[in-house]
Amino acid sequence: MKIDDEATDVLIGGYLSAEAAHEDYEAVLGCGERLWGAVVVSKDLDRTVSLEQSDHTVEEGAAGLAGVGFVVGLFAPPLLAATAIGAALGAVGGKALHKKIGSSVEKMAEETIPIGGAGLIVAYPRSAAGKLEPAVTRAIQKVVGEAEGHHVKALKGALADAEKKMAEESGNG
Amino acid sequence: MSEIDRGHLPIRRPAFSGVVNRTLQGSQPDWDLIAHPTPPEGAPNVLLVLIDDAGFGNPSTFGGPIQTPNYTRIAAGGLRYNRCHVTALCSPTRAALLTGRNNHAVGFGSVGEFAGGFPGYSATLPRDCAPLPRTLKENGYSTAAFGKWHLTPDGQQGPAGPFDRWPNGWGFDYFYGFLGGGASQWDPCLAENQKIIGTPSEFYDEEHPYYFPDAMADRTIEWLHGVRAQDAHKPFFAYFSTGCSHAPHHVAKQWAEKYRGKFDQGWDKLREETFARQKELGVIPADTELTARDEAFPAWEEVPDKLKAFYARQMEVYAGFSENADHNVGRVIDAIEELGELDNTLIVWIWGDNGASMEGTVTGSFNELTMQNGIPLTDEMQLQLSERYGGLDQWGAAIMDPHYSAAWAWAGNTPFQWGKQVGSHLGGTRNPMVVHWPARIKDAGGLRTQFTHVIDLAPTILELAGIPAPDTVDGITQEPLHGSSFAASLTDGDAPEHRTQQYFETIGNRGMYKDGWWLAMKTARVPWVITPDALKPYAPGVWDPDAGPAELYYLPDDFSQAKNLAAAHPEKVQELKDLFWAEAERYKVLPLLATLSTFFGMVPPIPKETKFEFRGDVQNVLSGMIPRIYNRSYSITADLVVPDGGAEGVIVAEADHLGGFTLYVKDGKLTHTYSMMGVFIFQQVAEENLPSGEVTVRMEFAADAPKPATGGDVTLYVNDRQVGKGRMDHTVPIRFSGYAGMDIGRDNGGVVDRAYEDKKPFAFTGTVKKVVFDIEPHAAAQDELDVHTAEQHGQAAHALSE
Repeated sequence: MKIDDEATDVLIGGYLSAEAAHEDYEAVLGCGERLWGAVVVSKDLDRTVSLEQSDHTVEEGAAGLAGVGFVVGLFAPPLLAATAIGAALGAVGGKALHKKIGSSVEKMAEETIPIGGAGLIVAYPRSAAGKLEPAVTRAIQKVVGEAEGHHVKALKGALADAEKKMAEESGNG
Repeated sequence: MSEIDRGHLPIRRPAFSGVVNRTLQGSQPDWDLIAHPTPPEGAPNVLLVLIDDAGFGNPSTFGGPIQTPNYTRIAAGGLRYNRCHVTALCSPTRAALLTGRNNHAVGFGSVGEFAGGFPGYSATLPRDCAPLPRTLKENGYSTAAFGKWHLTPDGQQGPAGPFDRWPNGWGFDYFYGFLGGGASQWDPCLAENQKIIGTPSEFYDEEHPYYFPDAMADRTIEWLHGVRAQDAHKPFFAYFSTGCSHAPHHVAKQWAEKYRGKFDQGWDKLREETFARQKELGVIPADTELTARDEAFPAWEEVPDKLKAFYARQMEVYAGFSENADHNVGRVIDAIEELGELDNTLIVWIWGDNGASMEGTVTGSFNELTMQNGIPLTDEMQLQLSERYGGLDQWGAAIMDPHYSAAWAWAGNTPFQWGKQVGSHLGGTRNPMVVHWPARIKDAGGLRTQFTHVIDLAPTILELAGIPAPDTVDGITQEPLHGSSFAASLTDGDAPEHRTQQYFETIGNRGMYKDGWWLAMKTARVPWVITPDALKPYAPGVWDPDAGPAELYYLPDDFSQAKNLAAAHPEKVQELKDLFWAEAERYKVLPLLATLSTFFGMVPPIPKETKFEFRGDVQNVLSGMIPRIYNRSYSITADLVVPDGGAEGVIVAEADHLGGFTLYVKDGKLTHTYSMMGVFIFQQVAEENLPSGEVTVRMEFAADAPKPATGGDVTLYVNDRQVGKGRMDHTVPIRFSGYAGMDIGRDNGGVVDRAYEDKKPFAFTGTVKKVVFDIEPHAAAQDELDVHTAEQHGQAAHALSE
């Protein structure tokens, strides 16, 4: 099945540690389901950005998962005096060719991933959701965007939907 | 020499008994003029050891899982007391212990950080209640305190004093330790006598890093040697008050590794195991019942499997930390033995000052200050944040400030209910005590069951030393001691009960003991939840203290408070309620909940100062004394001299990477880093290099809104020209740190920004002439009051966690 033959979901997970994000990334890859791609990005305490990806969307003719956009939200814990911290949230749009994905994502992560935090993006056919989504167990915040249509458009749509949900859930919506 | 009048201190020097003529012709000296008071013949040395935030069921000496061979050694040569009582909170126990009087009566209804506006809560020792060390010192003892103090109000811990609230002012000749309620064990900000000396230089020695518990023992031994080198006979009183086992739970990995896998069974099973050992050892009666788990604590079997290792590691580190404390107390005892004075040294060693602390909340924390700043993180979040800082292997290292789960504390208080802060129940009020004095105690290894309270220590020590409690000190008539001596029990296991009655009160949780009966009146609030919502039921006019549930126990038949007899004895309940109110009035306990008065509209006046200036040599400003930048717009302006070729280093830094800020220059760029408790880290960097010569730099924070933890915009300026900007979406609402200090021109101790970790303390290579903080109060008076009030709420919550 190709990416334009089925509705696409995009899951975004936000993490407070690279280790947790990487565990979920490995769990997604090992869950036995088809996926279009997965990207895990983290920024350590020295501001060094690390990226790992398994991106099949390029092979399928899409622009590359991580190059389409990137948002990572984090939790909004209520404070003692019944106030709320907003979310650490950034949003970067943009396009990149596959060959430039690594550097472009790192640049995006520089601007959007909180220091010490990490993010995971997974794109997959909706039919894989039943097994894939439960594999993501450590995300502090997890949203799934959905879209249908032509492959790149669907991917962008699902990602945009996920970003919107993440922003709403983080209180910045 | 005529008989010494010890009832009026200081002891008057004897009148000159010689002869003075115009010349030496016929004059006769009186050599007693230069003598100093000496204690009565046979007065023993005294070593008073107090462990912090530990429970009855922690040390192996009392059946716990933590190996305490030195405690056991001293118990084997002395006596174990299994009905020793404390006050359920840090400072109050210390105040009672060191004065021989009830804690409220000496101003310590609450902790040192939280000096309130009622007599029982002022955190200020009345002058008619001279403490034990002062009495011993005036009677000829050498006195010294090492470790945790926690009896100096928060805003009085700098070079301006007043020093009558510091250890020297309480009568200790020498002090080495920290003034607050807790401290990093790796990079503490220390005081020595009347000076904040900051983090010891050995902190920077990577091969042999500084560790406070080791240094405490070293300093104590050094002091003992010094005293003996000068005077072979003068008795000493050494107060050895460990920072352990208070959070942060800091210990070298090898100590924690001794317990790897030892707590995989969880807290429920651990309680059962401890309980069985306690019975086997005979430290609890054979008919004792193990109290049930309150639903505030989760069952171990409810903990997700993926998180069990996280929780188990918390207890492994706590156990290693505690065993290390036993080790270091043992070193001090060894030193006394090596001096040949163990036989004539009275050792009193209390394992815990308020039961084990449940302030880690259910999850435990990688950084205990996250809880005190009201940031409720789930256990998964806590685990991830610990991973961010190195993972579970680093739990206990300097990179984290960890606290364990409340459920581990509950297990540490086996066989009792609850723990710290809960003055109504034995989990917070009963701790093990061991007394050792071979010259007097002949029933080595014996068990004593007399009902004892920390206020009884001072009269006991004075009786054993042959020193009366003074009638006046400095001409001020003294309040009699409230404690009663238990000296008779040292030689007679059947000595009659010296104490038949005692009140307990901590944050509204009340206990009234009389003739074996114990009335327990606990508020419904879960001890670690101090939110406005949780406190609503306790508002003035809403709360009726007598209306709450009352439990009644008869302790001679019920060691652990397992059998509530209130329904069967309503007349006894009423009698003890009435007695409590009488005692509360007598000892300044009222008004109840004064500790939490800020939650009910009674806030201290808003400070008027908005400008704070620090010259370049100011360092180690303790955490409770930094400018109040929280929840407001503010700026930091620094006048610098930058040499040709540039400069680098820290201009000003507060606390460390787990909460703090730093303004520094690196690679030629002015940089501001702000750590929101290690959860969020924000950074802004100038876009151009710092020029040379006389330079003024400024960081401005413009708050979004008058609310706690407000976000805002940051702008950097050099010579009034904007050079950088950025956002901080969240700021620290209450307090960056409980123990790390603020420094001008360097970042002492653990650094705020780990980008210059390898250059710490990263002293500025130019000159910092002056740093000025300008606080911008909110325009609307109500907004300012609201923010001030919220800060006071937070400070109260913080204080109660110390």
